[in-house]
Parts: sequence; structure tokens; C-alpha cells
Amino acid sequence: MMSLLAKWTRENNELAFNCKQQNDELNRDHNNLFSHRRCSSDFHKLLRKLQGIPPHSDHAQLELSVVYNACVCLTALSHFEEAELLLTQAAHRVLELAGEDRGTSDPSVLWRAALKSVAGTALHRHVLSLLCLQWGIWLAKSCLNPIKEFQEEMSLLERQGGAVWDDCRTEAKEKIPNIPRLVLDPRRLAELLKICTAIVQGAERLNEGWNTLSALQAAAALPAPRALIAYTHLLSGSCLAHMNRPQMALQCFRRALETDPRCACALYQSTLLYRQLGNVQAEIQALRILHSTLLLPPTTEPAPAAGRLLSPSLFLCSQSLGSLLSVPSALSVLHSLALKCVIHDRVSEGVENYLDLLAALRSEDQHGVTANTLTAHAVVSTLPKLPRLYLEAAAALLMARRPADCMALCDEVIGTILDLLPDKVLLEDPEDGSVAESREEREEAESGLVKLLWAAAAYLLLGHCYAQQEDWKQAVTHYTRCFNLLVKVHCKNNAFSPQVSAPDKESNQGVDLCVLQRLKGISLAGRGISFAQMDRLREALRDLHLGLQALPEGVSAGQWCGEVLWRLDRRREAAACWEKTWSHTCPPLAEALPVYAQELQSGPLLDPTELRSRLKELGPL
Amino acid sequence: MMEGRCAAEPWAELGLSVKPGATLVRRGTGTDVFICTGSEEVYVFSAQEKRVRVKTQLFLALSTVCNMPRILPSHLFWVQSGSSDAGSGPAELKISSDFLAVAADGVSSLLLVGSVLLTLCQTDRSWLLTLYKTPQQSQANRCDVIGSFSLPVVSPSVQGHTESKCVLLCVCLGEVTQPSSPAAASDAGLSRCHLPLRPALFKLLFGVEAALAKSPVILCGLPDGRLCFLPLRLPGSRLRVLQSLEQPVVFIGASVAMETDAGCAGCLIALGKQGRVMLIKAGRAGSERQRGIADFTEGCVPGPVECACVDKSRLYYSTGSDLLTLGLSEGSTGREGQEWDEEASGSTAASLNRPTSLNVSGVVALDQPTCNDAGEVQLLSLSARGQLQRISLPVRGPEEGSNKLPSSAVGRSVGDLLSAIGDVCERASVLEKVIRWKNQTLKQLNQVLNVSFLLTDGAKTEEKPIRCCASVGWSRLLQKDSLNLACVLQNFSPYILERGWTLSLTVLPLSCSPQATEEARSVNYSFPFCSLCPGESLEVSLPVAAAGDASFPVTVACSLVFSLCSLLGGEEAATPPDLPGDCFSLPLNTLTVDWLHALRLISPTSAQKTLPPQSGSNPAGDLRAFLSSRRAGCRAGDGAPRPEGYSARVRVSSELLGHTLRWQRSDPDPKVSESAPRSFCVSLLEWLLSEECGGVRMGHKGDKTDISSSVICGRAPNDATVKLTAKESPSSGLQVQVESSSVAAVCGLHHAVLRRLQVKTPYVLKLTCNLREASRLFSNSSSVVFEAL
Repeated sequence: MMSLLAKWTRENNELAFNCKQQNDELNRDHNNLFSHRRCSSDFHKLLRKLQGIPPHSDHAQLELSVVYNACVCLTALSHFEEAELLLTQAAHRVLELAGEDRGTSDPSVLWRAALKSVAGTALHRHVLSLLCLQWGIWLAKSCLNPIKEFQEEMSLLERQGGAVWDDCRTEAKEKIPNIPRLVLDPRRLAELLKICTAIVQGAERLNEGWNTLSALQAAAALPAPRALIAYTHLLSGSCLAHMNRPQMALQCFRRALETDPRCACALYQSTLLYRQLGNVQAEIQALRILHSTLLLPPTTEPAPAAGRLLSPSLFLCSQSLGSLLSVPSALSVLHSLALKCVIHDRVSEGVENYLDLLAALRSEDQHGVTANTLTAHAVVSTLPKLPRLYLEAAAALLMARRPADCMALCDEVIGTILDLLPDKVLLEDPEDGSVAESREEREEAESGLVKLLWAAAAYLLLGHCYAQQEDWKQAVTHYTRCFNLLVKVHCKNNAFSPQVSAPDKESNQGVDLCVLQRLKGISLAGRGISFAQMDRLREALRDLHLGLQALPEGVSAGQWCGEVLWRLDRRREAAACWEKTWSHTCPPLAEALPVYAQELQSGPLLDPTELRSRLKELGPL
Repeated sequence: MMEGRCAAEPWAELGLSVKPGATLVRRGTGTDVFICTGSEEVYVFSAQEKRVRVKTQLFLALSTVCNMPRILPSHLFWVQSGSSDAGSGPAELKISSDFLAVAADGVSSLLLVGSVLLTLCQTDRSWLLTLYKTPQQSQANRCDVIGSFSLPVVSPSVQGHTESKCVLLCVCLGEVTQPSSPAAASDAGLSRCHLPLRPALFKLLFGVEAALAKSPVILCGLPDGRLCFLPLRLPGSRLRVLQSLEQPVVFIGASVAMETDAGCAGCLIALGKQGRVMLIKAGRAGSERQRGIADFTEGCVPGPVECACVDKSRLYYSTGSDLLTLGLSEGSTGREGQEWDEEASGSTAASLNRPTSLNVSGVVALDQPTCNDAGEVQLLSLSARGQLQRISLPVRGPEEGSNKLPSSAVGRSVGDLLSAIGDVCERASVLEKVIRWKNQTLKQLNQVLNVSFLLTDGAKTEEKPIRCCASVGWSRLLQKDSLNLACVLQNFSPYILERGWTLSLTVLPLSCSPQATEEARSVNYSFPFCSLCPGESLEVSLPVAAAGDASFPVTVACSLVFSLCSLLGGEEAATPPDLPGDCFSLPLNTLTVDWLHALRLISPTSAQKTLPPQSGSNPAGDLRAFLSSRRAGCRAGDGAPRPEGYSARVRVSSELLGHTLRWQRSDPDPKVSESAPRSFCVSLLEWLLSEECGGVRMGHKGDKTDISSSVICGRAPNDATVKLTAKESPSSGLQVQVESSSVAAVCGLHHAVLRRLQVKTPYVLKLTCNLREASRLFSNSSSVVFEAL
């Protein structure tokens, strides 16, 4: 019996040694799933041998150690159910040993009874370490209630832990081979779990609207890996942001970044906060840093002892924490950065970013993976549809006065979409109660509308390009193509006014209709301007009038309408037109609408001061 | 239509049995062929040397060379195919766990796209497509996970084909603008995993975004019949269902069904296990509605489909028993601009139903077809018996083939055709022969069954429609008399007894010396015969006893024996059925040959002369009789008086017998009815000697006329002279007396006379009780007189 026990102990020790060694080797590779699997199955086999005999105090210590080892491996593999089963079995066997197994199924009662039955014996610390693992599993499964119940035991474990395990260690030094080796020091595990619990609990309470600042700040002082400490700072920051203290929140986010420079979520939260504060330059800066952080290769820094086997991400899977830690994908960040730059007058920078984005999309390494399984953070993609992205980039190029590049992009979009365009799109009033069409038909119409709008926008941008190159004939052709596409959209309900200018509509179709209307206006205006440049003033006037009808706030259309009227010697009308145009303030580019559906001011411009002087010459009415 | 004939050139016998469904054959770079048999082994076959070059122990995923579906469900190994030095490599390569690339559970299929390895596995609730980054040249073999996509498993009732594998295919956007640009040719290496698809079809199926991103699209066919797709390089893409075949997808391929776009496949093909074919094409530009919609044409071919491959315009698939080909280009011969009218699509659907057989059986795996310089399509196939063969299909296409073919080639192809016809004729005649033989056997078996039912019907033996009767007669051969039995098998049944039947006769003396064993006593004769039609009879003759043998009466058990062997193997029918296992025996009637049958008549005068010395007609018999009587005398002892003879009497009432005799004769003769006493006795004796009894008739040839007196003498088979006397006395009726010096003869004849009377006159049954008393008497006295009635 004793020799068998010794054999099993040796087997356990060898397994634990191998496991640790492999783990150390493989940590570089991030691919230790396989070795974990083998370890856990090996430990499981040994455990089955051990549990084949009734529980006995002689080998209880060994058995509990093997249970601990097996469960650590299973937890590392995220096999929480199996690990929990093993733990419960072990607890029952401990109770059996003490002869007081009452067959309870409630885990907290069970563990309390198990702890009580071994109180004061050498087994106590083993049961405590198993409880510690159970704690981890509860945490991983986001069962915070039992953790709250055992809070006291946990702190006990920690406080006593040091002393007990030091005892153990001195004991171990005396008779090394007889002490079953563990794959992970329970003290390290307890430390890890403590901070993880603090983080998860903080996130939960934050989500519920509680103030958890003090608890989080206490947790920040715990001995833990940098990344976890950074999380506590991040959570504090979020808490402060909720409490409407943005500056203090930004301080916390900065502290988080100081602790862990790779804490992308802190950067992301900062950008959100800057946006809220309206600090565009800071937001752009933060976005740029965020993007470069996200592009960094995954960490290769040595993980702390506990992290080698059990990654903290195993325990940080609560949903409310996930939403806090979520970060957009690198591409999405790059896109928002580019868009921000373009909109806020940093066109050349925006163009570079757009080109980077397109290159990234075309690269071999790009894979449409949204959820990165290696990191704990959920990755969100807020990237728009690709044609829209292309068109935005084209618009940026146009604004940067690179018409040739812009044309290449537009041609690509047109080439892709053109043969898929519907001959006709029939739209129904979405507020119309009678659902005459089936859902599929409506979806088809919507997708048709979207494609139509993309193609039209591409033609519009081409027209702009030619206008920029002063090839007026080509410009007219492309503006006409754009317009011809746009008139393929029919609204069934006549009362459903196409004059939806504000993009505050809830539905996509609202936005689409708004874009449609704007494209109509802009294309007509563009054609009118081109005609005006070609001195075909009648056509120009007609188009500019129609353009103004479609888009009354169109600035260039208003100005050019006045100009054409002036040239036609209808000076009074021209004056009225200019006055009316100037009464509108020229709207800055907005994020809500696609850039290409806004007036880019890329065409021939009229000098307002010159116009005003002309008005003065004309004199009062 | 398939012109010409395909030639299968066996390359190698792998000597293994192959599991259908899990096997794969792939041509690698150079001349190597990888064969994956569904077990743990992978063979690398060198096409140049025509031999198996390397046999590896575990599954390999060879870099950029080929992609093979899973063998080990949980471990994928990554082996860089090293230098392709033929012959220098080891014959057997062990793959250690150092090569382990991916440890994943339940990998159902895998695909290599560029530097990305894709695996498809089924978990409890979803299908999981996982992307791995393949290791670079110098680094370790492990593949890092890039990410994964999942698709929920549909209700389990639909599936149930969990064992069948999934199909993965990668398609990409084809370039229309430069159909034969050198760039397209340069990345031909990639074309294996990137099948270029016509842009119109690509955009219709996978969307504008995938087309804009120029993203390769992964198509996967699941065992539940769904066709899913995933744009690989599109941010935020999902695994989406394209269509469902509603049967396990066996194959997905793309074909250049439209000739207009060189190098781009205009048609996607999905093939289901049970033979459902789905062709996916872009709708024609002509019609209004079809413009934005892909055209799904469904059809059915005879299944089950084991494996398939597709070339430019043909689909080849194997059902396990035959290799079939299906043309895909019909219905699309019109140019791009032409109307895609109903007629054309109708003809497509119809052409789907007409696959052509290539007459190659047992194919379980096919590689992508290749075209050699002569324009022959070559398929590399693996048969179920593990034979790797190259199947060359003839040059096809009437418009391209017939125009270009030189006259010599025409002559050759005519020769090919003729030899093909010859082959087919030969095969057909063999098949016909087999069918005819089987039909005949069935008919025969039916007759046999009918006969068997007839004979085992339980009816009385006499009424059986197939029975034997016999006649006995003495014959002399080589100075030796023997009693021969001429047995006639009569078939009164409506069935023919055909080949396979054997008449078996077992001769068993009822009494004989106790020393003889059962085997020695009974003699078995079998007479196989060919056919016995209804109403026909078969006569066989066999020796029953030799002169001097006194073991009468003898029973002859007749039975019909049928041998199944003869039914199946017609040639060996001649051998007698001696194995009890493969034949069965149906008993017919039993014949009895008694002393009266064996009696040889001699004239009364000579009998009187020779009665005391008991001699026969032949001197040897006389001598023997004399010697035996002497010896008997000596043995009896000198003091005791030798009994001069034994006699037995049977008395029958004359009216009774008269009745019987009259009844016996068909026409009541007035002479007999008047019954003169002398003639009555004579007719009794005549009756006794001529009556057929127990199915056996006596064959007294020439002797019959001698029965004119009421005394007849004869020689018993044991050579004892016997005298039969019929007397009529008014007081006691008719009396038949048997006298002889041999007690055996007396007893035997007495028994025979009694038997005849017993059978023919039911009233005589009363005799038996007296007879029993008489037999008691017989045991006590040496001179016995049987008194009866």
C-alpha cells in the first residue's frame, strides 16, 4: 500500500514537473493547448486510479493534490464543467473521509461542510486550495453570488495562506519525495483570483450604476500583473466618466496606459471621451495612437507565475466587463481616423489614412475575422460597407486634388456594381401601415437602392473629377449618368415627400432617401455649373434651378444660379438668389452623411467678395 | 454522347482496401501523386517511376502542394515537402509529433488558401470554420489560430450523415479583361485553390463587397446539404448559407460552361450524395427579372455519388459501380448576348438527366482531370481495391474532334469502336448465357419442388404418381444363375424429372444369417437419369440374388434422390450423390421379392424323377444337392431316420377363392365360373405364380404353359426342389400343399402363399391366429403340417 502510494506520488510529481516544463517552453508560442490537454488527461488517469479505492486519510493528501492539478489543467483548457465535477467529487470524498457525507448538492453548503470536517488537520490547506479553484470557476462562469458568500473564507485563505504554505514548504524540504507536487502555487492562484474578482465585481457594479471607486482603487494596490492593474484604473476611469468627471476619468485612463502601454481599451475609452468633449485634435491623436497600439504584435513579455498556466482572460469573461473592454478592430479605428481627418480639414492626412486602409483591405494578411480569440477583448467592427469606403476614399482624394486616383477608385466601384444594378427601384413609404410587399421584396428594393446610390455617387465623383480637370464635356456626361441612375428610384406614395433633408431618420431608408435627394441636387448643380462653364447658359440655368429645388441649401448651386442669371442680365434675380444663398450658412462636413453626398467645394468657386462688390455696384432695389 | 472508348491504365496496386468517402487522390507538384486512404497512411506515388515512393505513417498536410481532408480527427500535421529528389527519400516516413500543426477536435475537412489553413469541424451546436496561419519556412510547425467562424447546426433530423466529410473549395473573382494574360498563367500554381469565377456570377453570389475586396471566397458543402460561403478577406464577414441541396454534398466544383470567358468558370456545380446536381450560373442579361439573380438549375443523376471531378465542360462522377460523365455545356452554346429562353434552360435540365457511362467500375476517388497534348482528358482514379489507374478519355467534341482528326486517327478510332463493340458483345453474350442458365435452373428447381411436394404429400405409397414396379426373372450368366429384378420407374405425375434426379434402390433381405452386418446385407444401387417426362417410364435391372442364396424374401426400397450440386454445377451431375449434405432423398414405394417370385418351375415328370435326390436341371446343381443331402444325412446321425421331406398346407374355402379369382379376372369366364375342380386347382396355382404381389411380377417365360396339372414342381432359390399341389376336397375346400426337403423352402413358400392370399382375399385374415399356433407346432416337430381353416 505504501509503495503504491509512493509510486503514485512519484507519478504525480513527474507529471507536474513535465507540465511546468512544457509550459515554460511553450509559453513563447502561445500554443500550449495541446500540452494542456495531454497533461489534463494524464492527471485524470492518475486520479481515476486513486479514486478507485475508498477515501483514506493516508492518501487523501495525494488525492487532493492530483485533483488540484487535474482541475488546473482543465481550467486552463476552459473545461469548467468537468473541472467543477471533479471538485465536487473531491469535496464529497473529503466528507466521506470524515464520515459525514450528507449528499448535499448546494455547492456552498458542501464546501463549508468539507472545510469544517478537515478543520485543524493537514488536509485543511488542500481543501482550501480546491475551494480556491472552485472560486476561479465561479468567477469564470460569472457566478458572483457564491463568491460573495465565501468572501470571508477567501480572505482567510489569503491571510493564512502565507503561513500555511510556508509550513508546507519547510515540511517539503525535509522529505521531498513524499510531498505531492502542485502545478501551480495556490497562493499565486489566490492572488490572481482576487484581483480578477475585484475587476469583474467592479464592472458588474459599474454596470448597475454603483460607485465602486474605493474598491477599485484598493484593488489597484494588489500584487498583480500590469495588465490587470491597468484594468482597475480603466474601470475607475469609466466610473468617473459615469459620474460626469471627464477630466478625472482621463487621468485614470492615462494611469492605466502608464501601467500597461498596451491597454488599448483605455485609449479607446479616451477617444470616446474626447469626442464627447468635442476635442477633435485630441481625439484624432488618440485614435492614431490606438491604431498603432492595435497593430503591435501580441505580447511576448513573460507572464507572471500564475499566468503561465491560467491566463487572467479565463476569469475575465463577464459580459459587462466585456462591453467595457471591447475595442474596435484596427481597420475600424483607421477608418474613423481617416474620416475624422477628412472632415476636420486634415485632408492630406486623411487621404494617407484612407490609402493605408485600402491597402490593408487588399493585403493577403487581411482576414475577415471579427472576434479575435486570442485576446480577451471583444473586437467590434464598425467599418462601413466597402463601396462606401471606396467612395469616401475617392472623395478624400478629390478633396486632396488627386483626380486621377479618385477616378481609378470610382471606376473600380462602377465596374463592380454596374452589371448588378436594378432597372428600377420601387420604394414604399415605410410609415405606410399597409404592408403590401413581402419582406424579401423590400429587402431587395433596399439593396437595389443602396447599389444604385453607390454607382450614382461614383459617377458624381467622376463628374467632380472632370470638373476639376476642366473637362466640362466629360463632366456633363458623368453628372448626367449619375442623374439618370437616380431617377430610377420611384416612390410609390406621392405624399411621401422626398424633401427629407435631415438625416435624423431612424431607418436606413431614411438616410438613403436623404442621400438620394442630395445626390440629385448636387449632380444637377454640377451639371449646371459645367454648362455655365461651357456658356450654355439656358441649360445651366435649368439645371441649377432644378438642383436648387432638390437641395435648397446647396451653396454652389445658389451662387452659380445667381452667376448665370447675372450673365443672362437678370441682375435683380441674381441678387435675390445670392442673398438667399448667403442667408444659409455654409454647413461644415458632417459625419452622419457620407462625405460624397455633401458639397465638397471641389469645383470652380466664385469669390463671394467679388459677388458682393457686384451687388454693391448694382445698388439697392 | 461519348465517342470512342476510355482506356484505363493501371499504375499501381497499393494492396489495400479503400474506404469510400474518405479517400483522396491529389496530384502534387511535379509528378507526385498523393494518396490518402482514410486510414493513418498517406502514399506518395511517383508518376514517373510508376511506384509508391514514400509511405508515411500519419496524415500530412503538404504545404502548397495539396490539401487533404482529415485523417486523424484531432491532429493535423504539417510537413514541408522537401526536395522532390525521386528515389532519394526514405521509403517510409514517420511523422512524429514535432510536425503537429493543429490539435483540433473533429476536423471534418481542411483547405489551404495561400498561407491560410482552414479547417472545418463540427461541434455540438455549430460548424466551426477555423483559420490558421501556416508556419513559415524556417519556423516551427505549429499553426496559429487567426480566428473562426461558426454556423449553427440545423435540426439533427436532417443530418445523420455525421460520418461523411465536408467539402471545401476556394473561388475567387476572375479577370475578364485579359482572358489569356501571362499573369493568369503565372499563378497557375495558385489556381488549384483559387478557382476563378466569372465576375458576374461571383458578384451575384457573394456580393459587391467581396468583389471589391477581391477576396477569395470559401465555399463549403456540409453533410446536411447546405452550401455555405465565406468571403475570406472581408472585414466582418460571416459564414452564410447559399443554398441547400438537402442531401450530403459530395462535391463542389466550377466549370467553364460558357466558352466566352476563357479561364473563368461560369458555372458552379454542387453534387449531392444521392445524385442531385445543382448548377449555379449568372442569369442572362437579356431578361428583365433575371438580371440581378443567379440562376440555380437543379437536376438529378443516378446516384449514389462516391466522388466527382469536373473539367472544362464535363462532370465526371463515380457511383462505385460505374464512372459516368455529364456534359455541362449544353444549353449554353448561344453567345453571351443571346436570349436565355425557356427552351435553352429546359434543354439544360434535360441534359442533366443523361449521364454517359464510361464503363469503369469501382472508382472511389478521382483527381482533377488533366488534358494531355493530344487533347485526351486524363483522370487519375483510385479503385476500391486500391488500384491507382489513369483513365484516358478519348478526344471528344464533334465540332472540334471530327474536323481536325487525320484519316489515320479516324481509322484508329474506327478500330477502337469495333473492338469496343466486340468487347460489349462478348460481355453481353456472357451475361445472356448466365441469365439463361439461371432461368433454366429456376425452372428446374420449380419442377423439383413440385415433385418433392408430390412425394412428401403423405398419400399412400400405392397412390403416389411416381412409383416403381418390377418383375423378376432368372437369368444365367457365366454358368451362374441369378435372379434379376427389372425395376420400372413410372412417372404418372404432370412434372418432368430432369437431370439431377437419381433412382436409388436398396436391396435388403428380410432374413439372413445373423453374422452378416447391416451394411453387408443391404446393397444400394443408384441410377442417375437425365429426364423422365410425364407418362414415361425408366427400366433398370439389378441382381437380387444369386442361385443358392436363400435370403428371401428381399425388400427393395425405392427412392428418388436429388442432388443440388447437379443443379448448380451442371458438369459434375454425373457423379453419384453420396454426400448427404447436398442431396435429399424422397422415398417411393417398397417392393418385396419373395420365395414364390424366385421359384423356378420345372416339369413335374422331371421333378418326380429328381425329387428324392433334389436335383436341378444342371448337373452341378444335382451334384451339390446330392452332396448336401448326404451331408445332412451324416450330420443327422446314423440312428435317427432322415425325414424325407417337409410339407405345409394351406386350406382356403373354395367359394372365397372362387370369388377372388373371378373378381380378379376382368371378364367372368363361364368355364371358370362353372369351376371344374381340376381347372380350379390349376387356376389357383396359375394365379399364385403369376400374380403380381408387392409390386413385383414373376417373369416365368415359357413355363406358364406347363401349368396344366394341379401339381407343379419347381426349384427354390436355395436349389431345393419343391412341389406345390393344389387339391380340392368337398369337405375342406381348396388346399395348397407345399412339399420340399428343405425346411427353409417350405416355410418361405408357405409364407409367400399366405401373403398372396392375405393380400388378395381379405377373409383369409382369420388364418393368422391359427397360423400362430401352427408355428408353435413347427418348432417342436420335424415334420410339420400347417392346418388352416
